[in-house]
Formats: sequence, structure tokens, C-alpha cells
Amino acid sequence: MAAHSRGHPAMREREFSPAGTSPYWWIRPCAGPILFLSLLFLFLFLFTAAAASAAAPEEEKFTEELLLRPLPDRKALAHFHFRSSAPPAASVGRHHHLFPKAISQLVKKYHISELELSFTQGRWNYEQWGGFDPMSTNNAKPPGVELWAVFDLPLSEIDATWKNLTHTLSGLFCASINFLESSTAFSAPRWGFKLNEGNLRYGALPREAVCTENLTPWLKLLPCRDKAGIASLLYRPSIYKGYYHSQKLKLRSSQSLGIILDQTLTVVLQPNTVSGEQLHSNHGQLQPNWSMRHLFNRKLSGKCLVSKSSRVFIEVDKGIVDNVNKSGSDLSWSNEFFVLSNSPDKLIKGQNHVEIQSSFLYVYDASNYTEEKPLDVGITWKLPLVWTCTPSPFHASRFLMGSGNERGSIALSFMSTNLHKQISGSPTDCSIKAVIFQVVPWYVKVYYHSLEIFIDGSRKTVSEVVDKIHVIPSEDKLLPGTLEMLLRFPCSMQSGTLTLDFDKGFLHIDEYPPDANQGFDIPSALVSFPEFSSARSYPEIDPVLGSPLLENFQEDSVVKSYTEVLLVPLTTPDFSMPYNVITFTCTVLALYFGSLLNALRRRIGEEERELKKTVVILKKWQLLASILYRKFVDELF
Amino acid sequence: MAFGRRSPRSSRHPPALAIVTALLLAFLFSAAASSTDAMHNNNWAVLVCTSRFWFNYRHMANTLSLYRTVKRLGIPDERIILMLADDMACNPRNSYPAQVFNNENHQLNLYGDNVEVDYRGYEVTVENFLRVLTGRHESAVPRSKRVLSDEGSHILLYMTGHGGDEFLKFQDSEELQSHDLADAVKQMKEKHRFKELLIMVDTCQAATLFSQLQSPGVLAIGSSMKGENSYSHHLDSDIGVSVVDRFTYYTLAFFEKLNMYSNASLNSLFTSYNPSMLMSTAYYRMDLYERPLNEVPVTNFFGSVMKTLHTDSAYTGFLAAHDYATPLSVGDNLDDHFMLKDRSTPRRSNIEKEAQLTPHGWTEVLLEQLEGKNTDTVVMYGLGGMGILLALSTWLSM
Repeated sequence: MAAHSRGHPAMREREFSPAGTSPYWWIRPCAGPILFLSLLFLFLFLFTAAAASAAAPEEEKFTEELLLRPLPDRKALAHFHFRSSAPPAASVGRHHHLFPKAISQLVKKYHISELELSFTQGRWNYEQWGGFDPMSTNNAKPPGVELWAVFDLPLSEIDATWKNLTHTLSGLFCASINFLESSTAFSAPRWGFKLNEGNLRYGALPREAVCTENLTPWLKLLPCRDKAGIASLLYRPSIYKGYYHSQKLKLRSSQSLGIILDQTLTVVLQPNTVSGEQLHSNHGQLQPNWSMRHLFNRKLSGKCLVSKSSRVFIEVDKGIVDNVNKSGSDLSWSNEFFVLSNSPDKLIKGQNHVEIQSSFLYVYDASNYTEEKPLDVGITWKLPLVWTCTPSPFHASRFLMGSGNERGSIALSFMSTNLHKQISGSPTDCSIKAVIFQVVPWYVKVYYHSLEIFIDGSRKTVSEVVDKIHVIPSEDKLLPGTLEMLLRFPCSMQSGTLTLDFDKGFLHIDEYPPDANQGFDIPSALVSFPEFSSARSYPEIDPVLGSPLLENFQEDSVVKSYTEVLLVPLTTPDFSMPYNVITFTCTVLALYFGSLLNALRRRIGEEERELKKTVVILKKWQLLASILYRKFVDELF
Repeated sequence: MAFGRRSPRSSRHPPALAIVTALLLAFLFSAAASSTDAMHNNNWAVLVCTSRFWFNYRHMANTLSLYRTVKRLGIPDERIILMLADDMACNPRNSYPAQVFNNENHQLNLYGDNVEVDYRGYEVTVENFLRVLTGRHESAVPRSKRVLSDEGSHILLYMTGHGGDEFLKFQDSEELQSHDLADAVKQMKEKHRFKELLIMVDTCQAATLFSQLQSPGVLAIGSSMKGENSYSHHLDSDIGVSVVDRFTYYTLAFFEKLNMYSNASLNSLFTSYNPSMLMSTAYYRMDLYERPLNEVPVTNFFGSVMKTLHTDSAYTGFLAAHDYATPLSVGDNLDDHFMLKDRSTPRRSNIEKEAQLTPHGWTEVLLEQLEGKNTDTVVMYGLGGMGILLALSTWLSM
């Protein structure tokens, strides 16, 4: 959009200035009008207008947004979105006003064209919280740390750059991301994760702890930190008390765009309501009422002063919208079912790309509120309401089979949610594509030839279901195993299962972590459905509204879901054994060598002779002493 | 300010002779300065919690309490290396998410909004600990994870965990021995990484950990003597575990009364430990330390000095340290040699780093032998040699 609005004045400018190819062309209008001042005053006007409109997208911008949404299982979702953008590097040099310098240095040093780093605790509940909306496809992340980056570099330099990048990020975000530097920890998927030309690297640390020390440096990238604006709502204990929190940093950089940094934080909270009996979800019960103060212990007192826009959205799901429509009332902020505590500044209708209407957004502008008149928007329910979120076409889950410490198998199961029937009727011979991407550490040695597929209980040959497969087998202590697979399931399928056998490997004694008995984690697998897009569209929305959060929702993104992390118990040695063995062996050897030396060195005959000699000498000395004594005694008396 | 303006003006017209004498004097002064001891000009703190698992909550609380204290007394975050072996604040067992308390009254959340943990979880190993002390890192390691101290630094090293006679356990799987610690400290001294070092250890038989120390300028204090245990202070029934150790508790009690400008001496800190309260005898070793303890304020280690050095021009990079053409008036030399020395410090550490990267031939061979790949072959050769020896001795004895 920015490029489009800029193109026109640029062309116009070039007609007059021979140096129009310079990247600094927008500075020139100041000189241009002076030349033509005497001839055409009209042109001056045109030029200044053009310069003003062209200069606008070249500024650093910051926007902050918050989206709140009630969830069907009596919880509430809060999604913070902060976007900072910097114009292309050449125009500003190394100086920044709003954009974090650390990030721009990172992008320049490592030639990053795209990067995403997420810290997550808890697991997104795809059944209850939805699996078909932009929130679940973009902001549901696997537990622990996930990092992927696309580099704008020759392929041979990427691995070394990745290594340095992980170290830098670990310093920036106080996390052990540097464990991703070793070649056993990251992989280079070609199409299963994201289509690329071999310049993408992906790594995940499922067991990384996420706590305030990760959030603090993330907040320090914001121009107002957590001192003002929407970020001031981030009261740590309430965030970390939630069921799910995922903190994400997404970077996009290119010559034309400059750098765009999206920081999002998605939390699922239990509204802190007074009545405790509402905790367990029951039909016919009122949803818990909540407001910002209940969720975060804070109210919003105005915006961050440097932000371009600062908005709070309350989103009600399709389920609620349908229910309200069915009852015949309109979806104002105060209707038959619920009341919002403040009247919104704007109302936006959202559309799913398969449905006519999917959700409703109530917009509040934070700049209308101040310290004296803070915003504490919330929802109060009047009638009990039961609804469900749209699920993804298949509910994917992964589990382990087998017992013992020698071998086992990984199973991936797909349960149909019958979504396609709602969407497309049900043609009998249709099929649904699914892409699986999974990385397995080398000590879980997967036999990819043992892939078995069962659909509705009956076994299928691999060629019937698998359209395309790409495997990078693991190498001991060198490479993890990577599996990318494109499957085609029949629409009528109710349940499908894939199994893969594996052997458990042995680690070197130094390679075991201190809590090896807990088991080892296999990172989440990613299942995506390329034929389904979670994009929303907002037909009534004004394009100049400029909401990055809604822009992200409109982006065409494939429906995807992450599976569970698997915990594999490996054979762990008795770590004190080596000490026992060493002590025992040393004792035996000492005894052996001691007695051997004794036997070799000792000459019994000689010893006896020596003994006799000493006895003789001793006797002589005794004799001498007695004689002397006697003489001494004699002389005395 | 006035001085800053004066020197460039005076240097505009002086005769050549004056310049030469000024340069000579400057050279002499800087030479003399490098031979004398550096003055104390910065503070660092390395705080280590070595225990994993929830029941060792108190060790993390100990470390975080010290972290809070040194931060309150003025050491900035970039000069604190905090190593925490486990995540207690967001541990699922913690009923107070994102909070850590060191007292059952829950008055003070140690895990506030601004904690920077540099090494955590599996990263807290003996290897990383020794690397932090000696400064021998991989080139990719970011600055925030290094101790960038110099010969004017006072370093506080605080460690807590489970220990025994001459060792301290890391993560329940590794041990730091008193020899390792003494060796690391010796290396630090050789590499001019500190002026004075205070080692504070809260563990069982902590005194034994100091037995091998030899480097001058090191002061050590431990929570208990050989054969004694260090005990926890009290149990928090809400959290379900003990929240602080006795030695640290009374250290904090001492510091709570102080602020950045207090003049309390180290001696008053050391004598404040009451064996009947600690249930162990605090031991301090001061034979390697020159200054009398009653003259050293605690803020020399637990606080921070921020000495400003006036320079007559803008910072011009490392080369300026040897650029004698910088015009100086004679009277300013005393001030300037500090400045020159200050600038030469980073350069020196650079040279050291280079030297460190190219070790002598034999060390290279030895290092290669000890590399992970070759340990197996070394062990194999050793075993083979032993077998031959055994066979020979058996044959001889027959």
C-alpha cells in the first residue's frame, strides 16, 4: 500500500529532475520548486503536496492494540499487538527514533529477511478456543521456544549465521536459545513448514522455561516500555497465572519495506470473578463477567504518546453472533445477551472467507481516555449462552506407543471435525490435503520405511495417501531427523492414524542433562491444511484505519495446528556407577600390585640374616652399656 | 569544563620545544602509571545458584536476594551475571506465579519486573561458570553473558547450593572443586581481570572451598567451617519449602539497614554473623587480602563506584591511547594519564584475547587430545597400556 501511494509522485518528480534515480529523491522537491517558482506557481503547490504525501510512509511508526475475546469455556483471551516499523535503511542510516536499535542491528548484521521467535507456556486448546481463526493459526505456538529465520545470504553462510544469531538472541532475551546452535538442534525444512529456497532454518526448545525475564527485554523494545499505553496492563503475576501465554516477535525486512517488527502477546486467562461457584462450565449458567481490571489488575489510562494509533477491540465470536441474530435482536454494545461497560467508538463486522459473517468487533480508541478517566472495558452477561468456536478440518494429536527402553513408535492421529460438510456440502469423492512437518532428535532413531497409515481402521498403502514426502534422516550426534509429508485424506474419513517405529539411542555420559530421568522431549509437530485459509475480511473497514492487528487477520494464512510435545523416557545410566567402578577397580589393582611388588622385592633369607646382624650389634651395644654402667656405679660408691 | 576548554587553546601556538617536553612528560607519566596499581574504578557481581529442583527454592531465593541487594546498592544489570539453575518463579509448583519470596511475610517479591537472568537452566554448568570467570568464551557469546572486568574491578562472587568438603555441586550432577575455583581465580589474576575479589559462599562446609586459593587481593567468606552444615532459616507453609538460608538471611538483615552511601565496613559485616543464630561458624579468609577490613566499606564490593573521568576531547577510539600528538599542557598530565590508561585497557584486553586464541604448540596438541572426539582414543590407549603392564608383571612374577 505504501509503495503504491509513493509511486505516483516519484514518477512526477523524475520528469523534472535528472537525478531522480537517487534514493533521496523525496528531499529534492525543496530545490525543485525554487527553479520553477517564477514560471508556474501551481507546480509548487503540487510538489509540496507530493512531498508531504511521500514523506509520510517514510517515518518510523509505532502502533499498539489489544484484542479481548470471551472464550466458550468461561475464559477470556487477550491478544496484545505492537508494531514498530522502520523505513528502508538507506534513508535513516543508523539512527532510530522509535524503532529498537538492537533489532535493526540484528537484521543488518545477520541479513535476516524474516524471523519469528516465540516463547510459550501451556498448550492452545484447539477444540475449545478455536482452530480456524487467525488467532489459532498465527498465535498458537508450541510450548517452549520456537525460532525460525529466513536469511538473505548465500546458502553456504547460513548455518554459521544461524549460530551467531542464536547466541545474540539468547543474550537479548535472557533465554537459552543458544542451545539451538548445534547442528543436532535445528533443521532446514523445504516446504513442510514454509516454502523456501533452502535459506530457512527452524529450531525448537520444548522445555525452555518462560518467565518475566523473557518478557522484560521484550517490553524494552517498545518505545513506552510498560510505563504507558496498552503495555502498562501487563501485570506479571496475572499474565503468568493464565492457562496459556505466548510471547512472539516477528520480523520482516526487505529493501522496499524497511523493517517491520510485530510483537504479540497472547494470553488465555481465567476471569478473576467474585463468585467462585462459576468455575466449572455448565449449560444454562451465566458466563463470568469480566473487565480489564479483573483480568490484569489494572485499568488503561491513555495511550503511549508516541504511538500512531492505540486501540482496544472486543471481539465476539461467530457463535455469539449467530445466537444473538437468532434471537432477533441487533448486535449493539448493549443487547439482550450481554452489555459492554463502555460504548464503543466504532463497530466492525468481520467475515470469514467461507462464511457470510463470522465475528463482530467493538473498537475503543485509547487516546480518548486519561489517567482521571481510565478505560476499564468489560463484558457483563445477561443471559446464559453456549457456543463453540470453528475447529480446524481435523483435530490432530500425537502420542507414543510401545513400552520398554528399547523401542517404540510415534503415532499421529487425525479426528475429523466434519467441517468440510458445513462448508462445501459433501461431495463424496473429495479429498483434504494435510501437510505434516516434524523434527525428531537424533537419539530417537525413526525408521521412516515403517510408516503405516490407517484410515477409519483399515490399513492403506503409503502411495494411496501420501502425495509427496521429504525425509532428512537423522545422523548420530550430527543431524536431527526431519519429516515433511503431504497427505491427501478422503473427505469422508472420520479418523486416520499414522505410525512410525523408532529405536531409542544411547547418549554419551556427558550428554545427559542433569534431570535425565525426567525423559527427553520431542518437539511439537506441525500439521497444516493448505486448502483452508483462516483469513478474515472486514468489508466495511476503512483502509486508512491502519490497524496492523486487523491487517494481520486479513493476511492469507493457512490453517495449522501444533501437536503435543512427546516425552520419551530413554535409558539413563546410574550416574554414580563410574565412581563405584573406579573405586572398586583401584582397590583391587592396589591390592594386586602391592602384593606382587612385595613378592617380587622381598628376599626372606637376606632379611633373616639382616635381622641376625642387628641382633648381634644390639647385643654388643648392650654389653658396652652394661660395662660402662657398672664402672660408673663403682666409681660413685 | 574549564580545563576542557583550556588545553586545546593553549596548544594552538606553543613552540616546538614545549611540545616535545610535553610529549616526553606525558610518555613518562603514562609509563609510570602502568607500573603502579590501577585504581578501583568499577564493580562486577557474579551471582550463582547451582541447585536444580523445586525443593531447592531457597537457593534461588538466596541468589535473587543478593541480586536485589547489589542492584539496590548501585551495580547496574549489565555488570551483574546472574546464573540460576532452575526456573522457580514460573514453576508449575509455585502458587505465586512470577514471584519469588525470601520471607514468609511475602512483603517483597524478589522476581520483580526487571530481572535479567544471564545463564539459566541447563546452561548453569561448571564449564560455563569457569568460562564466565576466566573470560574464555566462544566468539559468538554476547557481551551480556561475559564479565568484562579489568584490573580496576572489584568483583563479588556469590555462590549458593549444596556442597561438601572442598566441592560445590552444580545441578546435582557436576562438582566444582576448590582446586578449580583457585585455578580460575589465579587465571583471572594473571589476566588482570580484577583488583579485588570477594568470594561469598553459602553451602555446607563452605570454608573448605577456599583452601586452595593463593591469588593476592582475594577475600573469602563462607557460611560454615569444615564439618559443619549450613541450615535454612525458615519454612514458608504457603510455598511449601524453606525460602532462605540462615547465612544469607543474616547477610540481608545487615544490608537492609544500609544504602548506597553508607560507610559500614566489611569488618562490621563479618562480625555481625552470630554462630548461635547461623547454627554454623562463618569463616573468613583474609590472609591474601592487604587492606585492613575495618577500613573497607561494604559498598566496595556490594555497591558500585561511578567515577567520572574528565577528558579534554570527545572519545576518539582506541588509537588515541598511543597518539602522543594529542596536545597536552604540562599541568593536565596528572589527569590525563588516567584517561590514557583507561583507554588502553580495552586495547590490552583485545591483545589478551588474541593471545588466548593462539596458544602454544604443545597446549594445542594437549587441547586437541582432550577434545570430545579424542577422549575415547586416549582412554583406549591408556587401557591398552595398562593391559600390557599387567601382562608383563604377571609374566615377571611367574
